[in-house]
Amino acid sequence: MVVENQISLSRRENKLLKYARSYFSSGKGIIGFSLLLLFIFMAFFAPVITPYTPDEMTDDVLKPPSAEHLFGTDHLGRDIYSRVVFGTRISLSVGFVAAGLSAIIGVLIGSFSGFYGQITDDVVSKIVDTFLMIPSFFLILIIVSIFGSNILYIMFVIGLTTWPGNARLMRAQALSIRERTFIMVARSTGESRIRILFGHVIPNGIFPVIANSALQMGGAILTEASLSFLGLGDPNLTSWGKLIFQGRPYMTFAPWMVIIPGIFVVLAVLAFSFIGDGLQFTFNPKNRKGE
Amino acid sequence: MDKEILQVKDLVKYFPVRKFGKKQYVKAVDGLNFSIRDGEIFGVLGESGCGKTTLGRVINRLEHEQSGTIEFMGETISGKDYKRDRNFRRKMQMIFQNPYDSFDPRVIIYKSMDLPMKINGIERDGKKRLERIIETMNHAKLTPAESLLTRYPHELSGGQLQRISIIRSMLLNPKFIVADECVSMLDVSVRAGVLNLLLTIQEELKSSMLFITHDISVATYISQRIMVLYAGKIMEIGSSEDILKNPLHPYSKALVSYSPTISKEEKMRYTITGEVVTPINPPPGCRFASRCPMARRECTEREPELRYVGKDRLVACHFV
Amino acid sequence: MPLLRMENVNINYRLKNRLVRAVRDFTLDINEGDILGVIGESGSGKSTLAHGLMRILPGNGYMEASTITFNGRDILNMSDNEFRQLRWVEMSIVFQKAMSALSPVHKIFDQMYDAILAHEPETRKEDAIKKLEGLLSVVNLPRKTLNMYPHELSGGMMQRVMISLGLIFNPKLVILDEVTTALDVITQGQLLDEIKRLVKEFGLTVMMITHDIGVVNEVCTKIAIVYAGELLEYGDVKDVIFRPLNPYTRALVESHPDLNPHGGLRGIPGTLPDLSNPPEGCIFYDRCTYRLDRCREEKPELRDLNDRKVKCFRAGELNG
Repeated sequence: MVVENQISLSRRENKLLKYARSYFSSGKGIIGFSLLLLFIFMAFFAPVITPYTPDEMTDDVLKPPSAEHLFGTDHLGRDIYSRVVFGTRISLSVGFVAAGLSAIIGVLIGSFSGFYGQITDDVVSKIVDTFLMIPSFFLILIIVSIFGSNILYIMFVIGLTTWPGNARLMRAQALSIRERTFIMVARSTGESRIRILFGHVIPNGIFPVIANSALQMGGAILTEASLSFLGLGDPNLTSWGKLIFQGRPYMTFAPWMVIIPGIFVVLAVLAFSFIGDGLQFTFNPKNRKGE
Repeated sequence: MDKEILQVKDLVKYFPVRKFGKKQYVKAVDGLNFSIRDGEIFGVLGESGCGKTTLGRVINRLEHEQSGTIEFMGETISGKDYKRDRNFRRKMQMIFQNPYDSFDPRVIIYKSMDLPMKINGIERDGKKRLERIIETMNHAKLTPAESLLTRYPHELSGGQLQRISIIRSMLLNPKFIVADECVSMLDVSVRAGVLNLLLTIQEELKSSMLFITHDISVATYISQRIMVLYAGKIMEIGSSEDILKNPLHPYSKALVSYSPTISKEEKMRYTITGEVVTPINPPPGCRFASRCPMARRECTEREPELRYVGKDRLVACHFV
Repeated sequence: MPLLRMENVNINYRLKNRLVRAVRDFTLDINEGDILGVIGESGSGKSTLAHGLMRILPGNGYMEASTITFNGRDILNMSDNEFRQLRWVEMSIVFQKAMSALSPVHKIFDQMYDAILAHEPETRKEDAIKKLEGLLSVVNLPRKTLNMYPHELSGGMMQRVMISLGLIFNPKLVILDEVTTALDVITQGQLLDEIKRLVKEFGLTVMMITHDIGVVNEVCTKIAIVYAGELLEYGDVKDVIFRPLNPYTRALVESHPDLNPHGGLRGIPGTLPDLSNPPEGCIFYDRCTYRLDRCREEKPELRDLNDRKVKCFRAGELNG
């Protein structure tokens, strides 16, 4: 029995390896993953790799990038490099939490809707379609203006307004998977509908949602940056968007205050976009050798 | 042992079809009456659209009928009762046409075989379940069992997968198996393994079987009795030998004559024209009338009854 | 002089890291008037052979041979342009699953007219209509079929359209690639009757690819048995089927339920060899019940035995 377990484990690892190998054969996948790794590293080791604390004010006000201040300083003499590095923590958190929430809600609603069908599906589809009609950013804007701009609110709101995209993907998968023979086998051997949904339908259909979530992480970061840029971000936290917002009045003579955080936002969105592409590539069975 | 394990009375199953606003119905199964004996392999023979697959799914409770009754092992299983359906799963299992799709592609074979037993409360001890699985596979000559169990479905051949499907059902000790075209997607040389395994189950577990197929050679090889369906209605019921050597209904005669066989002599064609009809809004009378060489006015006015023309022989035709 | 002669045909597929040798050293003659049944199971390479002959292999496939002549002309070394003129006019192919071969948004007439124009660009519409109506009536289809869309036709009708497409220019050789496989029994039978009639009326030579040996028995005059890319036996249909000389042929015939009493079917256990690494000896060694040690080490040659070709060291030793 122990031997059998080991064998089955190694087979499962093999499968993971196959997926990994396929993913890393796509150039975009590699770039995206590397960038993400870099960001995670920055976020995790922030205190270690920054010479200054993000709020430390020095006398070097509005100085351009130099050896002492890699990305220059802002109007209060704070080191932009350190602020950007710590800002990574905010941005990544927003990305993961918002996209994660969106994925969970989207998968649950989409799979129920697609699998159970009929009335449930009709109702949910109408709701999803309505949501998709509303430009989500404005919805977020309105909600945040009304309810406040605590970072948690922002993360939740982004998650709660972007789930329809995932729901649609999951629903389409559920619709096609439920017609497959092994689902009929599951019914025929007595599995309950719920068990079939969580044990067979969702695991087999979730891949597009995962790929989409990568993109949504980038989107969430961008949304948060936009909110902060408009002054609606969390007043207590310094995100990349907030840095751009703060740099705006000084844009003409201290452009690094705006450009550099802006580059980071772009790189983050790009990284997730590439990861999404890499996952799409892996999703296609033709690109997985030996299957 | 002539006790009946399954009795079907006036079974009707329609599917709604929307054609430009007007709602119509495909009368897939339109009033079937037959019974299956304990320990018997009962073949259902017909071409596409005759209702044989629908029949299998209704009997297995994957679909619910519009009207009619089904008695299984003395109990009524027709009508919508989800709780009763779940309790009945252990006693009736189904083998499907596509062996490649009969397994969750993300799960190794061992898990796919273990789950049904776990769910149905057979053998609480995981180790003992594994032992039973290996034992049954070895008995069915699916070896080396341990190696096959750790594989993913896409690594195995159609023949292996279908036999594993059968074993998966066997582990639940069913009294009845519905086999829906279970060798149609397999190469000829591989079919023997599957068919003989089914025969073994019949012998050893004393299970009864509803064997659905369009292939008369396979049907007569494995079944004791055969029921011929056309456009949702029964045309004829008889022993395999009778249907093959002495078909009475014109449609049965056509089926036998058009089925390609390996024989030295040339077969006489019982020629009929036209194509299979889909039973949407069928005209009155016999369903086969539009193509039948023996058809007369009666046939388009009155539907023939399925009646006895001998011991264990039923035909639905005005002229037999 | 044979109508089609091929010697040592090899067809390979280039995959990512290996070369699959799908057809190996295939040598065969098709004489005028033959209805040759090419029988093989999945992975046998029979369709690949046909595709190679018609130069429609996928991008990663390529064919090599010593000789391929058609009506005396070397078609192996012919330029693509020259071959394109020959293809469809003297040698045509009809596929299975006709539905996917036709565009769903064009009427049947338009698609057939296109085919005509591809070879005879000056054909006027009125002439084309006349010709096509004639062709359709040959396969027993009404004139109005020309005005219909593919989805309006049944499977049987579609296949008839495809066959008539294959006959537009009165080719000498028609390759039928599993044309009846997806059809119902009676529709298949009707189509086969049709094909037999066409052969007589038009003096066609046919290469019929199928996996159903019953079909070959009823329609064909000659039979070629293909296994894993190699020709194992060839000869007159009745001769080969009822007095097989190659163990695979015999096993294949015996896998058919027709010749077996209830429970006596045997089948061929085992799986196909890996075609990217074919064995040194006989290709059927692994699964052969008549094998000798010699068979594993040496590869048998295709021998001429009267009117038969057999590839087996023990041909003639198996009691017929």
